[in-house]
Amino acid sequence: MTAELPLVVLNIQRAGPSTGMPTKTEQADLMQALYGRNSEAPVIVLAPATPGDCFYIAYEAVRLAAKYMVPVIVLSDGFLANGSEPWLIPDATKLPPIEIAFRTEREGFFPYLRDPATLARPWVRPGTPGLEHRIGGIEKQDVTGNISYDPENHDHMVRTRAEKVRRVAQEIPPTSINGPATGDLLVVGWGGTYGAITAAVEQAQTAGKSVASVHLRHLNPLPPDLGHILREYRKVLVPEINSGQLVRVLRAEYLVDAVGFNRVRGLPLASEEIHEAINQLLGSKP
Amino acid sequence: MTPSGAGAKEAPKYTKKDFESDQDVRWCPGCGDYAILSAIQKTMPDLGIPKEDIVFISGIGCSSRFPYYMNTYGFHTIHGRAPAIATGLRVARPELKIFVVTGDGDGLSIGGNHMLHVLRRNVNLTILLFNNRIYGLTKGQYSPTSELGKVTKSTPVGSADRPINPLAFALGCGATFVARTVDRNIPHMDEMLKRAAKHKGTGFVEILQNCNVYNDLAWNVIYDRESKVQHELRLEHGKPLLFGPPDDRRALIMEGVTPKVVRAKDVPESALWVHDEKNVNAAKLLADLFAPDFPIPVGVLTAVDAPVYEDLMLEQEQKAISERGPGDIAKLLTSGDTWKIS
Repeated sequence: MTAELPLVVLNIQRAGPSTGMPTKTEQADLMQALYGRNSEAPVIVLAPATPGDCFYIAYEAVRLAAKYMVPVIVLSDGFLANGSEPWLIPDATKLPPIEIAFRTEREGFFPYLRDPATLARPWVRPGTPGLEHRIGGIEKQDVTGNISYDPENHDHMVRTRAEKVRRVAQEIPPTSINGPATGDLLVVGWGGTYGAITAAVEQAQTAGKSVASVHLRHLNPLPPDLGHILREYRKVLVPEINSGQLVRVLRAEYLVDAVGFNRVRGLPLASEEIHEAINQLLGSKP
Repeated sequence: MTPSGAGAKEAPKYTKKDFESDQDVRWCPGCGDYAILSAIQKTMPDLGIPKEDIVFISGIGCSSRFPYYMNTYGFHTIHGRAPAIATGLRVARPELKIFVVTGDGDGLSIGGNHMLHVLRRNVNLTILLFNNRIYGLTKGQYSPTSELGKVTKSTPVGSADRPINPLAFALGCGATFVARTVDRNIPHMDEMLKRAAKHKGTGFVEILQNCNVYNDLAWNVIYDRESKVQHELRLEHGKPLLFGPPDDRRALIMEGVTPKVVRAKDVPESALWVHDEKNVNAAKLLADLFAPDFPIPVGVLTAVDAPVYEDLMLEQEQKAISERGPGDIAKLLTSGDTWKIS
């Protein structure tokens, strides 16, 4: 975090704690990814929705880590990792470029001089003449990168590191909504529950219910349009394979009365049980 | 790019000053680290490496603040993990000259596992382990090299842990260059640093260092003028292991497979133990010797050739490229179990 270097961490979540139930799936590391560090150290958190999406999420993780000079945690899970699906092979020449610009220019160089748009500091490869500098875990003065215990600088750096991650929101495309743009119920999911949630929501829609779903691939920062979308529905349901993690984030972040549907059995959620939860929340018989 | 050793670029004529950073040095006044810093800054120009190609990587502790004071590239990393980060850098950028600065706590307690692996892999880098037998930065708790029975803040009735010997540890891990020097002997430090830096593979140097605040004179046996004369054994390749004052020279000899101290004049020259840096087994015996029963070896215990980790890695990489051609993402994606839908 303090070094402000790119890093991609792939967490293929499984039932824990500790060794837990190896190979069994779970989505219980979201809070750890969001907050599980000393001090305030926000990172980018992404989650693939399907086995095929793992490719694009990994690609996006590298692109964002390098562009914003910040660690990215990718939360996959046992269900996705062991799953498979037909996957349309992308045209490699049409993938978005991962642009990495190593600084070599000596004039005006400072290790923590920031890009005004991304707040990323310059990335210098050791071996570059004239740009010798030191990085490390001790708090740095902004711009110069010198060790600093100055209280105001620390406050500024804590906010700067957070703002840098917040600005990644500008990279997130508009959230796609499966169903009506406004209605009785929105189901919000993330990770490997995509298939089960989509099937359950479509089943409810076929039965004439006013239900939609969104599936989050960006968990930190959250999509900038999410708050607006959440308010377009009377109720919000968040199915997760944990005891209620994303639901807490949504409640805290957007002050919406979202409710969870939680099963922590080491198994994927079944579309039928999500469908039941939808009916229950809508107060209608199946 | 030259896989082992520094780049082929010619270095400008440097002085010690070129390697001093503009940061305030924050060790306690009188700390042995000042002498080590000065010796390293003084040695750097002699290595003939452009300073942009030099990287100092450290973990956590007093010793690990070292990179901030060197006007080279530097990374003050995480506790005990400097060897892992240095290995990664070395593999990615084999043209760089990498120094790892660590201490007895950082390198042998939390980082003991990483130390083991960097040594056995023989990654081409130089490890400087400042051994003061105490955790100084955290204000005086016993370390992995503190002696049995040592009373510290965290061992109020004495340590029950048997200490580790850094030299024996390094040799046990298969280190290919192992040396010991002393913070109060600047010319010797200088010599050891140069030799370690030029070694092909992992150069491991234990520097006996004084923490004058939390463990003052832990190495007095080799600081005190009289004691030093009695106990210091200077290792020199091809020379017999002799030590002690001129009027009472003593010799190390082997009795069976056990080292023994005798009066030099009592044994024939043919019985003397001649130091051989190429003999790792002899180095292992030397590593365990210490005062008061034995002399304290300082100098190069062993320096042997062995395959270097990143050379092997790069060879594998080159071989793969020459056999399969350069990487092609489109080819990779369409290999294996793929099909077309028309």
